[in-house]
Amino acid sequence: MSTTTMPPAPEVTRPPADGDRPWAAVLALARFEARELLLNIPVLVLLVLYLGYTAYGLVAAEQDGMTDYPVLQNADRASQTAPQLVALAVLLCVNHAVLRSRRHGTDRHFGVLPLQPWRRTLAHALSAVPLAGLVAVVVGAEFAWAASKPGAVGHGSLFELVVAPLSVLLAGVVGVLLARLIGSAFAAPLFVVGLYVLLAVFSIATSGSDPHWLRWLSPVVPESGGDPLPSGLLGRPAAWHALYLVGLTVALLCGAVTASGRRTRTVAVVTAAALAATAAGIAGQSPGDSRDLAAARETASASPETVESCTVRGSVTYCAFPEWSGRTADWAAVVERVQHLAGDRRDRLTVRQRVEARYGLTSDAALTALSGPGQVTVGTAWGGNRIPEFAVGVASVLVAGDEQAASAVCDARAVTITWLALAAQADPMSAFVHVRLDDRTEGSGLVLAPTDPLGMSAGETAMVRALLAKPREVVSAAVRAHWAELTSPKTSLARVAQLLDVKAPEKEDSRDACEA
Amino acid sequence: MTVTVSASGLTLRYGGTRALDDVSLSLRAGVTGLLGPNGAGKTTLLRVLATAVPADGGSFTVLGHAPGSAAGRQNLRRTLGYLPQNPGFHPDFSAFEFVDYVAILKEQTDRTARHREVRRVLDAVDLSDVRGRRLKRLSGGMRQRVALAAALVGEPGFLVLDEPTVGLDPEQRVRFRELIAQAGEGRTVLLSTHQTEDVAMLCHRVIVLACGRVRFEGTPAELTARADGRVWSSAARDPGARAGWRTGAGTFRNVGDPPKGAELLDPTLEDGYLLTLDDPDGAAPAQQGEAAA
Amino acid sequence: MIGPLLRPTARMLPRAALTAGVALGLLVAALPRLLPDTESQLFGLALLRATALAFALGLAFLLDDPARPTTETVPTGQPVRTWLRAALALPAAALGWCAALLLVPQAARPPLGDVTAEAAALTATALALAAAAARRTSETQPGRIAVQALPVLVVVGLLLPERWGLFVAPGSPEWDAAHHRWAAVLLVALVVWTASVREPIRRRTLRNGFGMGTLRP
Repeated sequence: MSTTTMPPAPEVTRPPADGDRPWAAVLALARFEARELLLNIPVLVLLVLYLGYTAYGLVAAEQDGMTDYPVLQNADRASQTAPQLVALAVLLCVNHAVLRSRRHGTDRHFGVLPLQPWRRTLAHALSAVPLAGLVAVVVGAEFAWAASKPGAVGHGSLFELVVAPLSVLLAGVVGVLLARLIGSAFAAPLFVVGLYVLLAVFSIATSGSDPHWLRWLSPVVPESGGDPLPSGLLGRPAAWHALYLVGLTVALLCGAVTASGRRTRTVAVVTAAALAATAAGIAGQSPGDSRDLAAARETASASPETVESCTVRGSVTYCAFPEWSGRTADWAAVVERVQHLAGDRRDRLTVRQRVEARYGLTSDAALTALSGPGQVTVGTAWGGNRIPEFAVGVASVLVAGDEQAASAVCDARAVTITWLALAAQADPMSAFVHVRLDDRTEGSGLVLAPTDPLGMSAGETAMVRALLAKPREVVSAAVRAHWAELTSPKTSLARVAQLLDVKAPEKEDSRDACEA
Repeated sequence: MTVTVSASGLTLRYGGTRALDDVSLSLRAGVTGLLGPNGAGKTTLLRVLATAVPADGGSFTVLGHAPGSAAGRQNLRRTLGYLPQNPGFHPDFSAFEFVDYVAILKEQTDRTARHREVRRVLDAVDLSDVRGRRLKRLSGGMRQRVALAAALVGEPGFLVLDEPTVGLDPEQRVRFRELIAQAGEGRTVLLSTHQTEDVAMLCHRVIVLACGRVRFEGTPAELTARADGRVWSSAARDPGARAGWRTGAGTFRNVGDPPKGAELLDPTLEDGYLLTLDDPDGAAPAQQGEAAA
Repeated sequence: MIGPLLRPTARMLPRAALTAGVALGLLVAALPRLLPDTESQLFGLALLRATALAFALGLAFLLDDPARPTTETVPTGQPVRTWLRAALALPAAALGWCAALLLVPQAARPPLGDVTAEAAALTATALALAAAAARRTSETQPGRIAVQALPVLVVVGLLLPERWGLFVAPGSPEWDAAHHRWAAVLLVALVVWTASVREPIRRRTLRNGFGMGTLRP
């Protein structure tokens, strides 16, 4: 070969300078993998499902009216379950991405490139960050939406909001770790199944007396189902749980990095710190309800008057838990409308907010009826069906004198009570449907109230329907004129019909929940 | 010589591109080379002829069998041997077991006869001493030979080989050429490659495929003759040449339309191939040659 | 013809995935016996569904064939080879399922016929997904695609509202209707599987480029 006619090529002896380049490369690879992640079908499908479900919840629930009065300490928890769809997708697809080079035999080639395997592991774990960020944005938007409602009460907790994005990150890290430990595609899906079973075991099997610490090892512990509780009575170790999640994520990530071949002192130190944080988190979240919490719950449930603050409007005193003081106006609106229909009566009423906190966050225990004269119970939830139910409670105390007497109402007074409550609503007929337990306006049934329900017979139901068809002022005038008779337990249904000028039923028949 | 394989009007589209555009050819006994650049459609054509994928249009027959019906395709497959571009293998099978498995799939049910056949083809590809070794422990060249043995088992009448010598060192390549030449005696072999020396050494006929169309079909001599009078030598790079490169002697070898008075060189198959790729009509070389003379 | 193929096909089955799936499934089914106070039908049904899913995930790898480029062009067509694999693996899986049913204690057993229909439908869906993936792409190992798509389908099934629900509780009024839907799923999956395993003589002239270049399974 003749080489004299060409100048010699410059020698390459020094490697290119690398300062921050490895970490910049890690970030660049993470960006690349994050984009690839979005192109995966499971991520696309489940992300669309999650976003659609959230949007649907925001939009459709508007029509219900239940979301106009959110309690923020429930709203922050409610956003934790749906993002698990995204977490599942992230686990499966990050695992798949890490296995890609094993699958196509490029591991051996990539293994000798400047970017070491452990940095590639880190990059894969970081590729879940944009999705976690998206979840954080959606969760934040949901909470902001709830908090911006004029009827919102209570306080949310940042640590509760942070659980969902952290669980997505954790899922990504678990996917990476599984791929480094077991190089086959069946590992991650089977792991998901096994995990689901574990979680199901500890929720179904031991739902009565499950070990508190075991339950909190799961990333998401929604504890939903009961009525909202005041923030001080929640007993949820949200901050410890967030610490636990962060520590667990970092510890598992260090495990994956070690499995990729990086065994240095830095990794060991970080692992130790992460394990310590995890242990601290578990220790902090494990104790069950403390004695102070139980005592506070007992006080709030049995003797709420000691913790409530009261305001007086006209002849009615409204007593609410500290966080609910803004709702007094809404209650007052209902009370005043019912009072007006009953003849602007000046009865001394006390509307007392009550909660049943002794059985925890998930129980939906009923409140017992109060015995004091003129005392009306109101719950912590408001909006939607709760409004006409409260009106029923107010009307029943107006008519019967106190709640215990009202729960024993087993006669024609039910007509007056029901009409007073429903006529005070904007749309009486639909309120009638909602306030009935069986959602029907025919036949006998139960009408819900904050404490005990009210029983109505078929005839009484028909009479109420007829009354609601008549102009409100006409019936109101009749009610005012004959108040004493209408509120007497001895008045018969036929007589009530006569007084209110509606058709009487042909025969008396049975009613539910009546202990005569 | 009778035509053993004939195709007419084969077309295949992948998405928007035409992988095969009205391809017609006829093959006879012996080795036919299929030359073409990457992306020309060689693998697609071979897969169509091997019935791995059906064509969108056109038809072909192999030894009298047409794959237009299920029975025809079945008969065609019984007389086919196919060596794909990336053969794939079951890593835990030994060489013998893998070829035996393919033999069973080729409907050789008699165990004794089948094992004898497997031993024969493994001998033919020179792997008899590693018969029992697992495939994952064999080198790349040996695996390629196992794949060739799997294609040869059952004495197929039509052998389709897709870039069989890629990745082999020169000694292995020479051995492969011997095997293929032996296989070509009495059989139709269609061999795709982009190494022109394989074609020059081995093939009785050659087909040039580019952009899914057949650019040339004939003997290697005819392909070489296309470059008659169109190859010349010069001291410096000639901008008017279609292709030119520096040779080991320091001069330049150019292919294209030579200027007046250029020193002409003897063409090779590669020159003819390059000119065919560039120049689909194959302009008569005689004009330039006369002008030069 | 089939006889000599049995041994090589049995050796080609994806042992690791199948064993892991069956082992996890059996372990899950055995949980009520290992834990106290867990004998309710709802619990038993949830565990059996998880077992069925574990089996299905393992069986999704049944159609993996690394030597596919070579075995594509042999006279023994793909249907025969696929049914042979199924004939070897499915009876073993069925036996494993019976073992799982027996492992669940008597008190916790949901209606066995119905839950077996669910398991069969899940398995058929996994196989149909694998076969369809193998057909649409030139993937030699379609199990990894099926095993990602199946949990997504299960999640979608879990989220269905009551009226079209598949995963209903025992004793719910929707039970029979839901199991009619499961039977439909099984039928559709079997049809898709059978159709995907065929080798077409003619090529469909639909545009083949939609989605294959950009979306990754």
